[in-house]
This record gives sequence, C-alpha cells and structure tokens, in this order.
Amino acid sequence: MSNSKGESKMSVPLYESVRRKFRRNRSEAEIVLSTVHIFSKLSRSEIRQVENVMHVRHYTMNETIVKQGAPGSGMYIIVSGNVGIYILNHEHEEQLVTELEKGDFFGEIAVLNDAPRTATARALENCTILGFYRPDLLGLLETKPQIGIKILLALSEVLATRLSMTNEELSRAQRQLQKLENEHNDAGE
Amino acid sequence: MQVSDDQSVNQKFIRAFHSALFKTLVNFVLLILALIAAYKFIPFLTDAVFMIIMAVVLTAVISPAIDWLEAKGVKRGIAVALFFIVTFSLVGMVIARGAPALIDEIGKLKNLIPSTSSNGTVDQLIGKFNTWVAQYLPSLQIEPAMVAKVTSSFFSQIGTIVTTTLSAFSSFLFILIITVFFLVDGRRMMKALIGMVPNQYFEMSLNIAYKTQEQLTNFLRGQLIAASGVGIQSILGLHILNWVFDANISGPFLIGGIAGVANIIPYIGPFAGTLPAIVVSLFNNFGDPVAASHLYFIPHIVVMFIIVQLVDNNFISPLVVSGAMEMHPLTVMLVILIGSKWGVVGMLLAVPGWGIIKVIFHEVMSGIRQHRAAVG
Repeated sequence: MSNSKGESKMSVPLYESVRRKFRRNRSEAEIVLSTVHIFSKLSRSEIRQVENVMHVRHYTMNETIVKQGAPGSGMYIIVSGNVGIYILNHEHEEQLVTELEKGDFFGEIAVLNDAPRTATARALENCTILGFYRPDLLGLLETKPQIGIKILLALSEVLATRLSMTNEELSRAQRQLQKLENEHNDAGE
Repeated sequence: MQVSDDQSVNQKFIRAFHSALFKTLVNFVLLILALIAAYKFIPFLTDAVFMIIMAVVLTAVISPAIDWLEAKGVKRGIAVALFFIVTFSLVGMVIARGAPALIDEIGKLKNLIPSTSSNGTVDQLIGKFNTWVAQYLPSLQIEPAMVAKVTSSFFSQIGTIVTTTLSAFSSFLFILIITVFFLVDGRRMMKALIGMVPNQYFEMSLNIAYKTQEQLTNFLRGQLIAASGVGIQSILGLHILNWVFDANISGPFLIGGIAGVANIIPYIGPFAGTLPAIVVSLFNNFGDPVAASHLYFIPHIVVMFIIVQLVDNNFISPLVVSGAMEMHPLTVMLVILIGSKWGVVGMLLAVPGWGIIKVIFHEVMSGIRQHRAAVG
C-alpha cells in the first residue's frame, strides 16, 4: 500500500507538483471579466486584482439596477442572469430597448462622467452582477497605475468608437436632411 | 346575543389593554437596562471611539505615502512595515539627538520665573505697571500673586502635556495597531461595510463614502501643512529677532512648535502662539536698558507673528485648507468649550474633530440631496 503511494508520488514530475500546488481555480467572475473588452488588455493576475476591488451584487427578478435620470458612477458586468434595458418614451412609459446576458456590460460611460443615467436597467431574472465604480478606478490609478491606465485606455477606445459611430450617423442624417431640403426646394420651384 | 357580543368586545379591549401595558412595561425595563448599560460602558466606548478617530486621522495622513509606495510596486503590507520602520528610526534619531536640548529648553523656561521672582524683579515690574495704570484706570490693578499663579500654571501645563503623553503610551500603542490594520486592510473593511448597504442605496453610499474620505484626507493634510508652515515660520522669525535685534528669546523651537500646534485652533490659536514669546522676552530682558528702549521687543514679536499669520492666511491656508471648512467664531468657541472637558489635548483636537464631523455630515447630506433630486 505504502509502496504504491510512494510510486504515485514519484511519478508526478516536480514542476507539475509545484504547478498543481499553486494553480488557482478561476472564479466565474474572473472568466467573465476576461471576456469584457474593457479588461481584455489585462493579464490574468491583473484581472484578479481588478476583481478584488469590484463589488459583487445580487439582484432579484424585477429589481431595478440603475434608474434613468439618477446620477451614475459606475458600470455593471453581468456574471449570471438576464438584464433588460428600458428607456422612457414620449408618453413617459418604459420601453424595453434590449436584453443583456452573461458577459455583457452597461453603464461604462458613468465610470468617467457623472452625468445622469440615460436608461433604466432591470433584472429580468435573479442576477449576479459585478459593479465597477469611479472610486474603484481612481483607487486603481493611485495604487496600481499600470492596471488603471490599461482600463482607462480601453474605456477611451470604447468612447472613440462610439464617437466615430455617432459622427457617421450625424453626417448620414445631415446628408438626408440636405437631400430632403433640395427635394422640397425643387418641388417648390 | 347582544350581551355576549358586548362581553366579547370588552374582553378584546381588556386583552388589547393588557398587551399594550405589557409592551410598555417591557419597553420601560429595556430602556432602564439600556441606560444602565450606557452609564456603565460610555467611558469605555468614549475611549474606544477616541482611539478609532485618532487612528482614522493617522491613516488619512499616512495613506498617501503607502499608496505611493504601492504604486511603485511594493506590496501594501510591506509598504506599511517599511513606512513604520523608517518613521520610528527617524523619530528615534530625533529623540536621541533633540530631546536633551528640548528638555533643557523647557527647564530654562520653567526656571526663568522663580529666578526672576526671587530677585524681586517681577514684583518691581508689577509695581511700576500698577502705578502707571492707576493714573489712567484706577480700577485695573494686578496682584503679583495672580501673575505668579497664571505664569506657573501656564508652564506647568507644558509639563502636564508631556506627562499625559508619556502615561498615554499604551493608548498610543493601541492607536498605532488600529492604524496599521486600517492602512493594510482599510479598503477591504470599507468594501465589506458598504457591501451591506441595500442595492437601492449602494451606488449613492459608495460615492458618499469616497467623497467623505477624500475631503477628510484633504482637510487633515491641509491642517497638518498649515500648522507645520506656521511652526517653521515662527521658529525662523524668532531666530531672526534674536539675530537682528538681539531679542534674547530663549526656546525658539518650543515656542514655534506651540505656535504651530495652537494654529489648529482658529481665531484663538494665533494669540496662544504669540503669548509665550512675549512672556519669555519680558522675563529674559527685564531690567535691560536696550530691551526697555525697544519696549521689551513686544512690538517686534507681535509684528513677527502678524507677518506669520498674514503669510499663512493669504498664501498657505487658501492653498491647503478647504474653504468649505470655514467655521463661525461662535462655533469655534463652543467646540473648544466642549473639548476643554478632555483638557488641553481635547481643546486642540476639538476643532479638527468638529471639522471631521462637518465633512461627513456635509458629504452625506449633499449625496442624499443629489440622489433625491435625480430620482425624484
């Protein structure tokens, strides 16, 4: 009996034994974070450090996560469950715009700017969500600037992409407006 | 049927009355027990709260240095250990080199009064003063015994502070241990504490906590820089008076230090800083014709401290102390009065303590107001 045990111990190479000892099971939150674009530039150890500063929140079905108009200060990453994004229409009724699922995130602009929330997010089922707020980013920039800067850069990329998309849409709308104006003038003549 | 209905209503009423009476009695007993517990534990709680507040103050002052070390790649625990090793080594060196000189300065100042009094010079001075004042204000006369009492009690206060500081060594040790825990694990503690807040108020609470912490750190750092500024300027000013005018003011480091610490108390602090210098100059130079021609350097000292205050009020304080922390003179008086319950140390800590309460209250209220306005 003791022999077989001894043999099994001997059969494992030293590096494998050390690797097994120090191997750490990745948490679900860590796996989800590595898929989010904003944290995609971070190494595994850096993601673990970011996970340590994040806040795990649990929401029950129909519970409001963020409310349209309320001051925002952070972004949310869905670890489990589905979230509905609603906006108020002209009749002041909530209208479902989109449904988000595991790995999706929302509210990232609020990390940089404390403008009021532009939509309401509500849990469509019981959800586990990671919250990452401006104070957390500022704390990272102070104590772990190399991580903070990577996140800031990724956030800037998201904003730049959105800005260029908005510019494209605006110029398309302007072109359409110009076309309509020309048509109107031609019809008038 | 009617009778039985009435009886059941009566019984219900009596049962409700008994239940209400029982609840009232239980609440009364609980209140008495709570009051007894509060009476028994308040001294202990006051000490614990005082230690925690002191640890918060120390953490706010030290944490930027730890954050800086952490940003350089040093682990937080090691950064805290490094900071305390370096600080204790420096303090040890300063004590080893500077303490004998400081004790010597205190000794000189303490011996100054009895030696001058034994020569009869104080009585002579008071006699002259009374004769001069009697011509203009007959009702205002100074008793020599009163002057001796006031001056000796003033200098014995320095001794009391030193003795209290030494005897409070164990409290200081506890404060240091709490500070180390706050520095190493403060963020995790804060995260766990805020984590308990319901989802609805979570984001608001996190923001309030962050802004409060930021304001508190700025306020305490500002106070520390302003006090150091006044202390250094006073030391330099006293040395200049000694070199240029031969003012013969002994103990400039001690007097400058007192001026710096006293500056924490608005309105009263500057006077408290000027007074020791005037007293020392008077006792050191009494009978000296040159000093007498310079009115015992009192105008020089007053002008020097006015310059120090002008520099502090116009250049240092506006830069380092938040404007939101301005306090009404009446508030300052009341706060110092309450602080005097804990002696000289209480009086000194009263204003920064009130500042901390004001910052927390201001941030919490503005956070709640913003949240309400946005949510409607």
